[in-house]
Amino acid sequence: MRLSFIRPISCCAVSSSPSTSFKPQTPLFLRPPTFKTTLSDLKKWHLWAKSLASSVSSTFLKLDNGPNSELLLRELNWLIEDTIETPKSFFQETINPVSTRVCLDELYNLWKQRVEKRRPFQYIVGCEHWRDLVLSVEEGVLIPRPETELIVDLVDDVIKENEELKEGLWADLGTGSGALAIGIARVLGSDGRVIATDLSPVATAVASYNVQRYDLEEKVHVKQGSWFEPLRDDEGEFVGLVSNPPYIPSKEIGGLQAEVGRHEPRLALDGGESGMNDLIHLCDGAVSMLKPGGFFAFETNGDEQSKFLVHYIETKKQGNFSKVKMVSDFAGIKRFITGFRGR
Amino acid sequence: MEGMVQSSVPQYSKPFHSLPRNPTSVPIPRIKATHRRIPQLTSHSFLPSISSPLPSSMLLQKGGTVPFATPEVGVSNTETREWAMQDFYTLRKDVETVVERVEEIRGGAGLKQLQEDLAALEAAAADSSLWDNRAKAQETLQALTDCKDKLMLLHDFKAQADDAETIIKLTEEMDSIDSALLQEASGIIKELNKALDRFELTQLLSGPYDKEAAVITITAGAGGTDAQDWADMLLRMYVRWGEKQRYKTKVVEKSVGEEAGIKSATIEIEGRYAYGYLSGEKGTHRIVRQSPFNSKGLRQTSFSGVEVMPLLPEDSLDVEIPEEDLDISFTRAGGKGGQNVNKVETAVRITHIPTGVAVRCTEERSQLANKIKALSRLKAKLLVIAEEQRASEIKQIRGDAVKAEWGQQIRNYVFHPYKLVKDVRTAYETSDITSVMDGELDPFIKAYLKHKYTLAAKPTGLT
Repeated sequence: MRLSFIRPISCCAVSSSPSTSFKPQTPLFLRPPTFKTTLSDLKKWHLWAKSLASSVSSTFLKLDNGPNSELLLRELNWLIEDTIETPKSFFQETINPVSTRVCLDELYNLWKQRVEKRRPFQYIVGCEHWRDLVLSVEEGVLIPRPETELIVDLVDDVIKENEELKEGLWADLGTGSGALAIGIARVLGSDGRVIATDLSPVATAVASYNVQRYDLEEKVHVKQGSWFEPLRDDEGEFVGLVSNPPYIPSKEIGGLQAEVGRHEPRLALDGGESGMNDLIHLCDGAVSMLKPGGFFAFETNGDEQSKFLVHYIETKKQGNFSKVKMVSDFAGIKRFITGFRGR
Repeated sequence: MEGMVQSSVPQYSKPFHSLPRNPTSVPIPRIKATHRRIPQLTSHSFLPSISSPLPSSMLLQKGGTVPFATPEVGVSNTETREWAMQDFYTLRKDVETVVERVEEIRGGAGLKQLQEDLAALEAAAADSSLWDNRAKAQETLQALTDCKDKLMLLHDFKAQADDAETIIKLTEEMDSIDSALLQEASGIIKELNKALDRFELTQLLSGPYDKEAAVITITAGAGGTDAQDWADMLLRMYVRWGEKQRYKTKVVEKSVGEEAGIKSATIEIEGRYAYGYLSGEKGTHRIVRQSPFNSKGLRQTSFSGVEVMPLLPEDSLDVEIPEEDLDISFTRAGGKGGQNVNKVETAVRITHIPTGVAVRCTEERSQLANKIKALSRLKAKLLVIAEEQRASEIKQIRGDAVKAEWGQQIRNYVFHPYKLVKDVRTAYETSDITSVMDGELDPFIKAYLKHKYTLAAKPTGLT
């Protein structure tokens, strides 16, 4: 049995300022356009990249539900958007030479990695567009998914009618890139705060970088450590808890889409045998962490897990929570469980 | 609730610029039509340059300098061009036609009413209480300017027609032909006809959203590759049309077909009156041809749907749609979703449940951004439909009627066995299918606008 990272063992020092040893990468679109490439060379690259994308057809789709040519071509356009200083004039061929943020060799290299190595597009460009944010991401950090965007809406809905929740202390457990913490911090009131935790030093470094880029250092504190460990000082003080914990059953990791299974951190995906080790741990811990009336929203692997967890809370945590329910994502999958700490 | 507002408005952080220190203060880009082409409808810009001493006094009645938009037509070819009697008769005929046309337009424009309006507006503008209500004052002044401009134009049309007529009469009285004079008359009517065309078209474009930019969505009908290829041909046609109008034309979304063509595409066309011109293009376009994808070359009929909506500025989308009336779905193709999948599928589809009106948005990189854009497109669509159905509220829209109207077959493009493009509504047709596919849509657009204008005029005429 592999070493479990999911137990709330405090194996890492709890620190309020994340490790400084790791320096996050700058996303491509934020790099200076210091390279010059002739229009014809760049067009040659574009043609090559397009045909590489087209050659994929639906191979990956059939193989592991990966991207087809159509999606790859969309990504290629976005790669151009992020790396060429004036993408429009490139397409209209009105400028020569073209200023780029990476050199031509690197462009070849990046696209090769994308198609041949199935390296996720977001790691290629170093960012993910999520809600109205552009978040820096890199290897070692889970790429935030569109489904998770909904948690911010769920939070927004509950704080609309509740001043205490709006101005209180929140926690994002296993923050990864910091997406949820940042999204929530931006809807909270002026006194609202978020503590974001993650076991991975890479994640905390990237999350801190994102927090800083959105100028939210005052509102979001990133702490390194396992789940509730870094939050002990504020036990019972939280008005809200959110998390997108690892929830994929261990045995399914191998069959995942290559972009996910081969490149994203297992730490952020693998939820143990049933996939629910961490979710159960979160439900257990929420009782003592939340203030009476406090809100929680957790993402799950979908219908089955959500049903199990609602049942678990209703039977094992009887009386501790109220209004526990499942919420569907836009694809109709019961993706989230939400509820309130009983008064 | 400051925070909330920020969260619900996308900042579309531009990937190629560094984020500013405080990203919450990123200005929100509005969907705004820029680079608008302004039709030259005011005062004298279309007047030809006049070199002959005779008619100039009649033309330059309002004083001031005349911006000569055209080169010196009057004198340019005087020496080289010899006027034969035949040419003179043709010219005389042209002048007669243009004089009639001017009379017709002046009659149709309601000159008397305009003059009364002008008097009333001038009185209102002179009123001392004018600026008590700032918004109303500006409205009045704008109306006054519009009214004056229109009267001035109508006056200019008459003045020019008179000039041309005078030249013809003079020539008839003289023994010899004065080439310079005739050349001038020829120039006058050429420019006058252009100005009249423009005037007429603008008169037809008086809908509340006609001046706005437009969004065209093309969707291939059933029938696989043939239909998808047809959708691609239509896409090219509209892009070419947009470019010819010198509108800013941008294909914002394109979903390519498996073998050839496209499944769907969205074009944004920015420019003054883009929506007004294009609004009549919505409906089903039908092609008949020998299938290039069938080895037997059988005759094949395919369809593609075209939808046109105005691209309205965010602040004009003053429509509240209750959340429960919206069915929002997004394409995360099958499977388990969540952490299991990493695909850039952020497309959002919103259906307005009471009417069944649906829109899709796939071009943005995040789901929220697509949702916001889709919602504003939906609002624009509902506004347009409400206006078409003369409904004062979204609630009153009849969903069944929308489906029937927006899906109606409007035009046939026959490539085989003969060549013909024919509009089902106006019966306007041409056999020059190549030009049409090259974006030569103006005759169709004009015919439709006239057709629509006549239809609209009928009920009011009866009451």
